[in-house]
Amino acid sequence: MPHLTIQIATGGPILDVRIGVSQARAAALKNANQAVPNPIQIRGLIDTGASCTCVDPAVLSALGLAPTGVIPMLTPSTGQQAHHANVYDISLVLVHPNLTLTHQNIPVAEAQLAIQGIQALIGPDVLKLCLLVYDGQSGACTLAF
Amino acid sequence: MALETELSTYRSKLPELHDQQGKFALIHGNDLVGTFAAYEDALAEGYKQFGLKPFLVQKIEVIEQVQFVSRLLDPCRT
Repeated sequence: MPHLTIQIATGGPILDVRIGVSQARAAALKNANQAVPNPIQIRGLIDTGASCTCVDPAVLSALGLAPTGVIPMLTPSTGQQAHHANVYDISLVLVHPNLTLTHQNIPVAEAQLAIQGIQALIGPDVLKLCLLVYDGQSGACTLAF
Repeated sequence: MALETELSTYRSKLPELHDQQGKFALIHGNDLVGTFAAYEDALAEGYKQFGLKPFLVQKIEVIEQVQFVSRLLDPCRT
């Protein structure tokens, strides 16, 4: 099974992911004779504590995306009152030298993350296709897919 | 908030959609276009029918599931 071994940094297990417009949006852009933006490689934190995958608004804006969904979201700063977060359809690729795990159409929530030095939280909707081993003693995390 | 009209349409149509829990509703403006078993199918139909104009793909949930992100301290408010 192909796998990535990631050193666990201070901020947690961070890996490179490529974010682009969804396959469905790419087709619509082509039909409208518009250019399809190139995917952007960003740093994503594996976050088993998040219930969905999130991407920083600067990345979503750079891809020229418009929201196609809205979800209620609770964070430490919202207290007990959920706020509504925009949802965008994107493509997401976990980068591996020999093989890639690609989601062609996946919904992600918009979340301010850049201040933490990351641009995405990789949540369980992506991790459900992976085997994740967190080896705290050796300071490494293995993600197989 | 983005897609305010579409979200309002979804909420008004929700009583009719109780038997389609777990499917995905495609909504454009005040119209419920259809329901789909998979997110990808609703999304593809949305782009096919409406191109780059706004539309909403919403998972049908009688009790709306709240997402949670413990890492996020500064949410993007719509």
